[in-house]
This record gives sequence, structure tokens and C-alpha cells, in this order.
Amino acid sequence: MNELRYILGGPQGGGLETLSELLSWAYAHAGYGVISDREYFSNIKGRHSYVHATVSAVELPRHLTYPVDIVAAMDAETVFTHFDDLRDGGYIIYNSDDDNVSFTSIPSMERDLRERLTSEFKELGVDGTVKSVVKYLQSNRKVRVVGLSFKELLMEIERREGIVPSQASRYISTILAGAVAAITGINEEDLDYSLKRRFVREDLYRHNRAMANIVIEAVKGQFGSELKLDKPSVKVSGVLVASGNDVIATAKIVAGVRFQAYYPITPAADESFTLEEYEALGGEGSIVVFQTEDELAAINAAIGAALTGARSSVATSGPGFDLMVEGLGWAGQNEVPVVVTYYQRGGPSTGQPTRGGQSDLLSSVFASHGEYPRIVLASGDHEEAFYDAIDAFNYAETYQVPVIHLVDKFLANTIATIPLPNLDGIRIVRGNLAPKGLTEYKRFDLSSVISPRAFLGDYVMWYSGDEHDEYGHIDEDPINRIRMFDKRMKKLDLIEKEIPEERRYSYFGSERPDIVIVGWGFVKGVALKAIEELSGEGIKASYYHIRMFIPFPRESITKIAGEVGVDKLVAVEHNYQAQASRLVAMNTGITVGKSVVKYTGRPIYVHELVNAIKNIMRGSVREVLSYGA
Amino acid sequence: MARKLTINDYKTNVWVDWCPGCGNFGILSAMYQAFADLQLDPEKTVVVSGIGCSGKISHFINVSGVHTLHGRSLPYAEGIKLANPDLTVVVNVGDGDLLGIGAAHFVALGRRNVDLVVIMHNNTVYGLTKGQASPTLARGFQPKALPKPNLQDAVNPIGLAIASGYTFIARGYAARVQHLKELIKKAIQHKGSAFIEVLQPCVTYDNIHTYDYYNKRVYDLQEEGWDPIVKSPEEFPQKAAQALIKSYEGDGRIPIGIFLVNPHVPTFEERYAQRLPNYLKVPPAKEPIEVDGKTMITMRRFKELFGKYIIEFKQ
Ligand SMILES: Cc1ncc(C[n+]2csc(CCOP(=O)(O)OP(=O)(O)O)c2C)c(N)n1
Ligand code: SF4
Ligand SMILES: [Mg+2]
Repeated sequence: MNELRYILGGPQGGGLETLSELLSWAYAHAGYGVISDREYFSNIKGRHSYVHATVSAVELPRHLTYPVDIVAAMDAETVFTHFDDLRDGGYIIYNSDDDNVSFTSIPSMERDLRERLTSEFKELGVDGTVKSVVKYLQSNRKVRVVGLSFKELLMEIERREGIVPSQASRYISTILAGAVAAITGINEEDLDYSLKRRFVREDLYRHNRAMANIVIEAVKGQFGSELKLDKPSVKVSGVLVASGNDVIATAKIVAGVRFQAYYPITPAADESFTLEEYEALGGEGSIVVFQTEDELAAINAAIGAALTGARSSVATSGPGFDLMVEGLGWAGQNEVPVVVTYYQRGGPSTGQPTRGGQSDLLSSVFASHGEYPRIVLASGDHEEAFYDAIDAFNYAETYQVPVIHLVDKFLANTIATIPLPNLDGIRIVRGNLAPKGLTEYKRFDLSSVISPRAFLGDYVMWYSGDEHDEYGHIDEDPINRIRMFDKRMKKLDLIEKEIPEERRYSYFGSERPDIVIVGWGFVKGVALKAIEELSGEGIKASYYHIRMFIPFPRESITKIAGEVGVDKLVAVEHNYQAQASRLVAMNTGITVGKSVVKYTGRPIYVHELVNAIKNIMRGSVREVLSYGA
Repeated sequence: MARKLTINDYKTNVWVDWCPGCGNFGILSAMYQAFADLQLDPEKTVVVSGIGCSGKISHFINVSGVHTLHGRSLPYAEGIKLANPDLTVVVNVGDGDLLGIGAAHFVALGRRNVDLVVIMHNNTVYGLTKGQASPTLARGFQPKALPKPNLQDAVNPIGLAIASGYTFIARGYAARVQHLKELIKKAIQHKGSAFIEVLQPCVTYDNIHTYDYYNKRVYDLQEEGWDPIVKSPEEFPQKAAQALIKSYEGDGRIPIGIFLVNPHVPTFEERYAQRLPNYLKVPPAKEPIEVDGKTMITMRRFKELFGKYIIEFKQ
């Protein structure tokens, strides 16, 4: 087998991240590609959270799908929530001490799910205990049942390693990691690598190693390693194994960020933490990571820092961006290069704070009173996010405009293996800078669209949110207004001219398609896999991926629509309105009338997208997806 | 700087468009004089201002000026100062700006002690929007633009500054220019967040707090022997409490002068420098980030820095 998919589930704060890390790093170390999405509630301890992963022997995967081969459950709630995600003949690993727990007795389970399960269990003739569900899987779905008594295993590790009982529950992650390792035949060496990486303290490593050994022995003895992956054939010299947050933080450092302001918000805050970890650049420099009192302060402090010449950015999500909008306008009016890394989550309002979405596209393109140029980039995967984060600063400084880099929760919290970045080709473009030693300096010199930029400290200069003259002083003269306005807005023409069409989109798949998926952001991974599967079924599908919204890839989409016919385009997005298709219409007059949308806060999965595309090809105009707990 | 700068060197040719007689003229005059006395390098000095009558001041002074948003001057100033600690940064803000829409930033700056000067123009009204009550107007007062007497109580700016942790706290009066000039000089020389509240008559909208009103009431704390300096960290609570009591004086007599100076708190820059060994040597804004248009982070450096995310395969 060349692809493995699993669900790991447990209570929030119960060691799920450790479990997921242990496995991801072991597979990555063995040379497999991994993508591992984390789904969780806005809660610190107790609510159900899970990890959904794809491990591949043949590629660095970017897609997630169902059904899965393994469900590894830390608790009963996971069994109830995910039993139906398993394929026939898959594996369920669970705590047999929970056998008699009924789904009705789980307080953290939401009422909606309990109600759905009530009717489902009735239909299946299941009494609602863990035991009954597992039994059903075994007899009706040919699922292999790996019931482990966590209590006995923990008692054994207490006995063998002399661990105090109160500490023993910390080893549950390792029990499940051991079981998955056994079934999937992870090498000793690879598991050891990730255990050592995770448990830096020698004694902790030893205890966990021992725990894993006990489990592996028991599970292997009974089940063998039936889900062993083929030898990996992914051809890369090395990989980064990192979340989207971490990938973007490293990219910002490569780009030379020197100031990052933030106010804590999911799912953006981890990026700032990572930057703070590297703030001293190994003793060779300083990045000021500034936790502000709110997002109003964050954006405006970042703009202040940018005026001094520091490459400067903020990282935020919807509610924070809303607060930043007035500042963004000041940056537009004053031609300040500042980067907003915008991690979308489920809105509006607090919405679904820990779930994903792509519903802030229109806001990032339009938000603000008044008119000014901005650039909006969107990344489809970790690798794009790395290079886009660097381009964002280059564009900001080249055109002296605010740049919004759109990503989302899916990317932020998904750990993926990506090829080591190629840094040789990376350019740092600081744009039109004023020479030293001028006798007079005008910050908003009208002799060119991009006035030479000097930094505070170099010359005397003025800035004002009010309409201003070339010096930056308030000026309400109507003719000056036209000149200044035109100068600012002409940057859009320049941007339009200089940023090549190929930079704004990517195209994948058949050149003579029966259907073209039009998407952006995190849709990329699932869309690429879906067109592959569709073509396996004889359907010629392609994916048109939008990478920039300002400037918009007008020409290419117009050309494709002309060639294949508008009726073959279908928008696929994680929002209600298919927002990108509205921008297509605004920019080109082309109406993409068909859409596949998902706004549950969970990512689109390959199996449901493939199915939806087929429905679209049979005449449906709108498919609303909902799979996933 | 070769030549000694005079007051005129600090003036721009922008017409000062405040109402004739406005208290802001006194503040501007005190700033020109303080800057000249200190011979501040215009290129290395930044006046950050908010939105309001007071906010225009950055256009009238011939040092760099950043005329920001209503309420947000402090974040701009902090961003500027933290990215380039070599700059001298002075903030001019209205009372509405600082204690109304921007109050969260006022409190936060005190906690940080960034080396900045904040000059608040207290005219008890929102001047530029034509005289509505500001957060410093007492309840029951009805300056002439108000259709009804003010329903909200006034905040105590000096008291709030004390509670927030400002390490230099003073009050000046726009008509006592020499006194105010000295306060501004001391505030600039102070290392840490300095706050000066300036009583600023708004001759157009505040017919209560007139020059006459203040002239009859102000007295100089230092002339009456108040020593504002905190001698040791242990003395701080007591000194702060006494300063706070003075900040509540107001009806009959209004104290001006320095309320509190606490030299025992590290500046925010010093706190960063504890973690960032190069921070005060090379400001982040001045660090080179490219060589010949290429990133300074070579592949080797990348692997050194981010080793924990990297797996390399034996070929
Ligand atoms: C977000 C926002 N809200 C409202 C305004 C309108 N506005 C302009 S100046 C001002 C009040 C100024 O009062 P103050 O800060 O006391 O300054 P003064 O004019 O008295 O010097 C207001 C409310 C604005 N510019 N921005
Ligand atoms: S309205 Fe008041 S504060 Fe504003 S300029 Fe006139 S007098 Fe000064
Ligand atoms: Mg005012």
C-alpha cells in the first residue's frame, strides 16, 4: 500500500499533540510524506479533538480524505465520534477499559451529535456502549479490533520503570503511538528518532521507549504489521516538517523581518511565538516581537516600525483584522510597506474560532473606507506560503503598499512535510530608496509613481493620514488632491504591469478539460488529488488555482473560460458565497455559476469533492459539503 | 551638527491654523524652545501626533512628523521607537484622543516604560469636532457647545498615569511657557515613559476653563517643596500614593509641576536588550537584511537556525 490514513482522537489537552508528533516525525524520518490536520474546539481541556492524517510512500501529500485505515482512540468519545470514518477492514485501537461506557454518559459530547448517534445506533441495532459499537464494526465492517487495557498497560509500566501512578496517564500517547507503529510496521529506528526528539529528558525517553516496546510486542504478536507502507519513493534530499504557522515564521526570518506586532488570536498567535523563539537570530540580530494591548495597537505599531525602515508585519485572524482596518488605510494613504499575515478562521464574529474557512477574501480585498492600492496574495499550501511570505515583503517595499497575505486555520495548524526551501533564488527587494545626502527630501515626491523612500532618522519628513502635499503636510487643494490620488492609484497600474500573469495563478491537469475547478488557498491540495482521481475514472479535470487577488489573473481565467466554456468552470471554496467567483465576475465579467462550497469549518476532503464534481457534471449547480466531525 | 540651531530652525513654514488665543500656541512655543535648548537633531527627532486640533502640531515643527490616527499615536510612537531606539520620540495628543478612544494604549505604555514623551493637550473638549465633552470634563459642567450639562465624570489623568506605571509624570499650563519648556526638557531627558498633562484653554469652546480660571488656581508643586523623586524602589508605593493625593487637588487650587519621577524601572528597550544582545548596538531598523539583493539567511544558516524542523536524507 502506498497511502495510509488515520484518525487520532482524544480529549483536548490529553496528549494528542504528542501522539500526532510522534507518528508524523517517525514517518517523515522514514522518508514518507505526511500531512496531519488538527481539529479542535475552542477549549483548553476536555473537549473532543482529533488529528486526521495522510501518510504517503509516493508523494509529499497535501490532501486529506475518508475513509481512514486506522482510528486510534484515547477515549470513548473518539470511538463514538469516528467509528463511521473507518474503512471496511480498517483498524480500531481503543481502551478496552471503556467497553461499558455509553455515548449517553459523555458530558463533553455536543447535543447535536448525541441526537444523531441515538438514531444511528437504533438503526444499526447497537446499544450505544463502546463494546457494542466495536462489535458492530467487527462483524459488519470487518474491522480489526485492537482493544488495549490502558489501566493494565500503565500498571505494568509503573511496575517496570518505577513510575509514580499519578504520572502514568502521561504515557497514553505512547501507548497509541506504539500500537499504530506496530500495525503500520514503523521501523525501530524511526520511532526511536521521534521518541528522542519528543522526550528530550533521558528518563522520560526511557520510560516512553519501554511503554512503546510493551505495546508493540503485544500488538504485533496478535495482528502483525498488515498496514505496512511500501518503501518510500519520495525524491527529496530533505524535508521541513512544520505547521503553516512555523513555515511562515521561518520565511519571515529569511525575508528579513525585524518587527512583528501581534495580539493573541487563534490561529495566528503561534507564528509570533515561533518568531519570538528566534528573535535574536542566533545572536546575530534582533527581531522585535511586540505583544500589544489589542490589534489596533498591533497594526499601528507595525506601521510605525515600517517608517523607520524595519521590515514589519502583523499576524492576525478575522476579528483582529477587523480592528486593524483603519490602520491599513493609514498605511495606504502614507504608502507604507507593511505586511498583514491573515489567518482566516470561521466567522462572522467569534464564529468558529478554532475552525477553518476562507470567508474573509472579500473583506481583505475591500475592507476600509476610501480608496488606495493594496496587494492580496493567497497561499495554497505550506510551500507556497513560504515563498509568498517573502514575496509579500518584497511587494510591500517595491510598491510601498500594504500587503495582505491570506492563509487560513487549515494551513496554520496542519503539519506537513515539504521539500527544503531553495534559498539561492530568494531575492530581497527593498524598492526605490532615497539616496543619502540630499539637501531637500520630499517623502511624497510627485516626479515618480513610487517616490524614493527614506526612513525616519535619515531626513526630516512628514506623514499624515490627511491628504497631503509632497512634503507630507496637510493639503486640501483640489488639484493637489488629484495629483496625490492619481499617484497612489497609479501604483495599481504599475503592479498590474510588473507582476506577471503567471505569478498570479497556477494551472494543473488536463489542457482540454471536461471540468475546471476554480479555487484558491487550501483548496489546492484536495483539488489536485480530486482531478487525479477523476482522471483515473476517465473524467478530464483540471484545477485553476488563484494565487493573487490583487492583481487579479484576469487574462488567464478569461482565456480558459473562452476555450473550455464558462459552463465547465466550478468554484470550490470554504465559504458560503463562493467569494472568489464573485471576484472573477468583478474582474472579468465572467460568471462562474456553479459551486462546491463547505462552511462547516472542516476542510474539504477528496472523496466528497470527487463526488460533488460528478454531481456538478450531472447538472447540479451548487453542492454543499459537510463531511467530518 | 555644525551650527547651533535656533528656535526658528524648528519652525516650518506651515501656517498655524489654531484659533487666535488657543492654548496650543503656548505648548508649541514651549516645544520650540525645549528642542532648541536641547539642540535636538531634527532628523533624529520625531513628533507623533493624533487627530484633533492638537494633532496638527507635528506639521508646525521642523523635525520629522507623523500625524497619525485618532487614538493611535502611542502605538505608532512605540513602533518607531522600538524599531529604532536611537530616535527621540515626542507624542502630542488631545485629551479625547489619549483618554477616550486611545485609553487602552495609554495604560499599556505605562506598563512598558518605553522611552517616549507624551504631551496631552487637556482642553476638556473635543476641539476639532466642535466642542463636545472630553474625558477630562467634570460632570455637570456645560461648556458652551454642549446642549446639556455633561453626564459623565472626569478621569484623573495624572492618577491614571501613576496607576499605569509612567515613570515621569508632570502637569504644565499652556500660559506658563517657561515652566512648560523646562518640564518638556526634563521629560525628554528622562529615560522611560514620561507623561505631561498640559492645561490648555480652548478659547473657542471652553468658556469655563479660561486663562483667567487657571491663572487664579494654578500653583507650582516644586515651589511648595514637593520632591517628586522616588529615592528607592521601596519608597515607590508611598511616594506614588502621595502623588496620587496631589493629583486629586483641583477645585480651589490646581497643582502644576512634577508629580512623580521613578528612575528605578528599566525601560522597555532595556528589557528587550536583555534578550537581544545586539538590540541597543544596532537598531533593528538599521540591520542589513540583504547582500546584493539576496537574503542573508544562507542554506547553511537556515539549517542551523531551524534544525528542529528539518530531516535530511542520506542520498
Ligand atoms: C475613529 C475616529 N472617530 C472620530 C473621529 C473624529 N474626531 C476628529 S478629532 C476628534 C476629537 C478630538 O478631540 P481631542 O482628542 O481632545 O483633540 P483636540 O481637538 O481637543 O485637540 C474626533 C472625535 C476620528 N477622526 N476618528
Ligand atoms: S477649537 Fe479650541 S483647541 Fe481647537 S484651535 Fe480652537 S481654541 Fe484651540
Ligand atoms: Mg481635547
